Amino acid sequence: MPAPLIETKLFAPVRREGTVARSRLIAMLERGARSKVTLVSAPPGFGKSTLLADWLGVARAEGRALGWVSLDGSDNDAASFWMYLVAALQRAIPDAEALTEGGDPRPGPTDVATAIVNALAGVPSQTVLVLDDYHVIEEPAIHEGVSFLIDHLPSNVHVVIATRADPPLPLARLRARGELVEIRAGDLRFSQDEAAAYLNGPMALGLHAPDIAALEGRTEGWIAALQLAALSMTGRADAATFIADFAGDDRYIVDYLVEEVLERQPPRVREFLLQTSILGRLTGTLCDAVTGGSDGKATLDALDRANLFLIALDDRRRWYRYHHLFGDVLQARLLDEQPEVVAALHDRASAWFERNGDLPEAVGHALAASNVERAADLIEVAAHDLRVNRQEQTLRRWLDVLPDAAFDDRPMLAMVHVGALLQTGETRHVEDRLEAAERWIAAARGEPERNAAIAAGMIVRRTDALSHLPSQIALHRAGLATFRGDVTGTIANARLALDAAEEGAPLERGAAAGILALAQWASGDLEAAHQSWSQSAASLAAAGHHADALGVSIGISDVERAQGRLHAARRTLERGLRIGTEAEPPLRGTADMHVGLAELDREANDLVGAAAHLAASLDLGEANGLPQNAYRQRVATARLRVAEGDLDAAVELLDEASRRYDGDFFPDVRPIAAVRARVQILQGRLDVARAWAEAAGIAATDEPTYLREFEHATLARLLVAEGSDAGVALSERLVAAAEAGQRSGSAVDILVVLALALHARGHEADALAALDRAIAIAEPEGFARVFLDEGPPMAALLTVAVRRPGASAYSRALLAGTTTGARVAEARRQPLIEQLSDRELEVLRLLASDLDGPEIARELYVSVNTLRTHTKNIFAKLGVNSRRAAVSRATELGLLGNRARR
Amino acid sequence: MAHHPTPTDRSDEAAYEIRISGMLGSRWAGWFDGLTVRDGGDGTTVITGLVADQAALFGLLQRVHGLGLPLISVARIDPGTNPRS
Repeated sequence: MPAPLIETKLFAPVRREGTVARSRLIAMLERGARSKVTLVSAPPGFGKSTLLADWLGVARAEGRALGWVSLDGSDNDAASFWMYLVAALQRAIPDAEALTEGGDPRPGPTDVATAIVNALAGVPSQTVLVLDDYHVIEEPAIHEGVSFLIDHLPSNVHVVIATRADPPLPLARLRARGELVEIRAGDLRFSQDEAAAYLNGPMALGLHAPDIAALEGRTEGWIAALQLAALSMTGRADAATFIADFAGDDRYIVDYLVEEVLERQPPRVREFLLQTSILGRLTGTLCDAVTGGSDGKATLDALDRANLFLIALDDRRRWYRYHHLFGDVLQARLLDEQPEVVAALHDRASAWFERNGDLPEAVGHALAASNVERAADLIEVAAHDLRVNRQEQTLRRWLDVLPDAAFDDRPMLAMVHVGALLQTGETRHVEDRLEAAERWIAAARGEPERNAAIAAGMIVRRTDALSHLPSQIALHRAGLATFRGDVTGTIANARLALDAAEEGAPLERGAAAGILALAQWASGDLEAAHQSWSQSAASLAAAGHHADALGVSIGISDVERAQGRLHAARRTLERGLRIGTEAEPPLRGTADMHVGLAELDREANDLVGAAAHLAASLDLGEANGLPQNAYRQRVATARLRVAEGDLDAAVELLDEASRRYDGDFFPDVRPIAAVRARVQILQGRLDVARAWAEAAGIAATDEPTYLREFEHATLARLLVAEGSDAGVALSERLVAAAEAGQRSGSAVDILVVLALALHARGHEADALAALDRAIAIAEPEGFARVFLDEGPPMAALLTVAVRRPGASAYSRALLAGTTTGARVAEARRQPLIEQLSDRELEVLRLLASDLDGPEIARELYVSVNTLRTHTKNIFAKLGVNSRRAAVSRATELGLLGNRARR
Repeated sequence: MAHHPTPTDRSDEAAYEIRISGMLGSRWAGWFDGLTVRDGGDGTTVITGLVADQAALFGLLQRVHGLGLPLISVARIDPGTNPRS
């Protein structure tokens, strides 16, 4: 179930009767609406929200679409923040259908923002989005996303940020470009004329100029203070005396005035105000629950009529909040006068929110009451929905403040904490929590055991999930062992989890089999890994987790490539691609399938196909990629650049890949640094490559292990390039190990270097024998680049090889590949019917890069909309309908010339 | 597995003095998490006490800002008061 929206947060306040017209500020806001961003930054009580409500009346009258979000502390969770922002826009522009968040498990900070930018670009109406109380946002990822949103805002959309403190957004840049209008405390203060208009207008106090001047001077135009002063004077005969006292007092102005106001209230109302000050939102029955009274609704109505700092949060006046300043002062008084009741008030509020189905609010008040039991109970129940809605940050914040003892008798809550900790790679506390849960493991067996455990003190709110406890414990133990690099422990616990997971729990089985596969792979047992992974994929698919099944496909194809089974790897990835693209929108992980296929195409020396798959992956956007894709996509592109002969570009891409590295628990069997060292060897930068070997701590005398096989094969290449003898012996040992492990993919890579090593030492017959062994593996599976990437030394060896009688056709084809270069060169050239303009060629080159749409638009200084027009024209002229096809066709036509690079 | 220091191994706790313009009165001590709130003379208020870390300090400053009170100074006082540093 999606997280419920609190509608009041999306309610744009409406202009109140008796608001002083502030035409100067409205004019500033109108000017702001023609730029990108308006910042309304001032301390509380300066009339920010009132001014915006006033202005929105004008904007509404002109038919502009309006979205409003009142932010609060719970929006410090990126999932929640973007959910409300999208909801506000959906309400503002109902026809912007594309405004949906794809249910993406782990979106990056800019992913949702990108989706919003794209959706808004197609909307014709002028749109205003107001983010009120933005100062509550502290989460850097949210600021990053909002910065991105602002940077890429279509010209018809305008953002207003109301805040107490300037947000960490690129304000200086916006200012410099004239894209920011600022309304600050100095602008918002009431001038003497405005103070007079307010006091003698709506408040009808009939004050004389010197009194008004005294009030304005004492309050310094601070609107909230003037309002409080006006309230204190209403119905007073001696306004002048009040003003004289007030002006002569130097106490904190709001304190002084709230006291004045409170003194004039009946004791019952005074008590009501103090007790309900702990609530962030108020409604009649909630107030009754907190105060123990029954006139909450009537009291709120009366306070509203008396203008006592209540702000309506909906147009039916069911929900209110206190003005922040007033609420703070009330709460400070409550803490001072009745500290002993505060916890009880929070407890009652918590119970009300629980009854009314708002668990997050209920948890918040339980924690404020320091009621650990209550908070722990509520969190256990709330955890499921929060996880489904990816609000893990909120979950973590709650769990981290609970004392250790809260978990001792709560095995399910302990498991929630373990899951949340391991998700962010934290292992501290995990062992304690697992042990706490294990003490109650018997309770999972059946009802009698469960009842016995409960009698012994176990606390479980979600008894339906208790039967999964043993498999969950084992699964998390396996996860913990993985973090610790303990392969044996991982395998043992994953097996336990698999055994403990019932047939009816495919998700648990899928996860356990997946962890088992990872460990088996890391230990070099490829066949077992393949089997476990296939089982994992089947279970995940049965559980309906198709995107996770795509993640498993990456693992399966990696194993198949190591086994030298390139055709099988292709079938795996193509099946994944089919499943991924059948969904609308394509499943997350579809981009990964393209990247995997690009690697296979490149290996087969189909560079056009590889480029097209990489373009297709980019087309799907970064958000479509699983965690590993960011780096894998760059590595694949780098290796394609190597094939195209652009080694500098390859190194640059590999540098970027290592910055984006996220192995997602996969064993790092092909470290980026080693891939880069191979390119450096080709560049002749042997000293740099040698430095890599030293840093990696590998030597020619090491015992071969699967995990370091690729690095050792790289070292062998370095030794050959350095003219050292040691390359031959190392390669021979590596080949033997690879063959023993049935890793034909590795074997062909190593046989190639062995052949070159032998040839360099003048052992031509042995070199040819090694080459023949490599070709014997390569030919049926179509390996090509593993030979071709070696360049001139391989060409020399192949030249010798083909001169022999009965030389294989494959070796002749390989030699042709080394001399004629990539298939690109043979591509058919058909003239275009309509030539591309210079601007379109520029766009086309960027389409061939790894930039996404908004990034390209920024590069060209055009809107995303304009970019779309260009793209459409380019597609039409090339006779294609996707970015991938456009790049592929353009490559064939040689339109890309010197390839665009980042 | 690397050894992680437990949080009690080191502490970011420190004593601070925050001076603000406006007279708050000691009744505000509860609002400021039990720190000492006293009259600083010249219409100012001084809030002093131990804060757990920098995040807690900024939370405190936000509370001051939330009351609309101008900040005059923030000073770390006597680092020797932290016995663990």
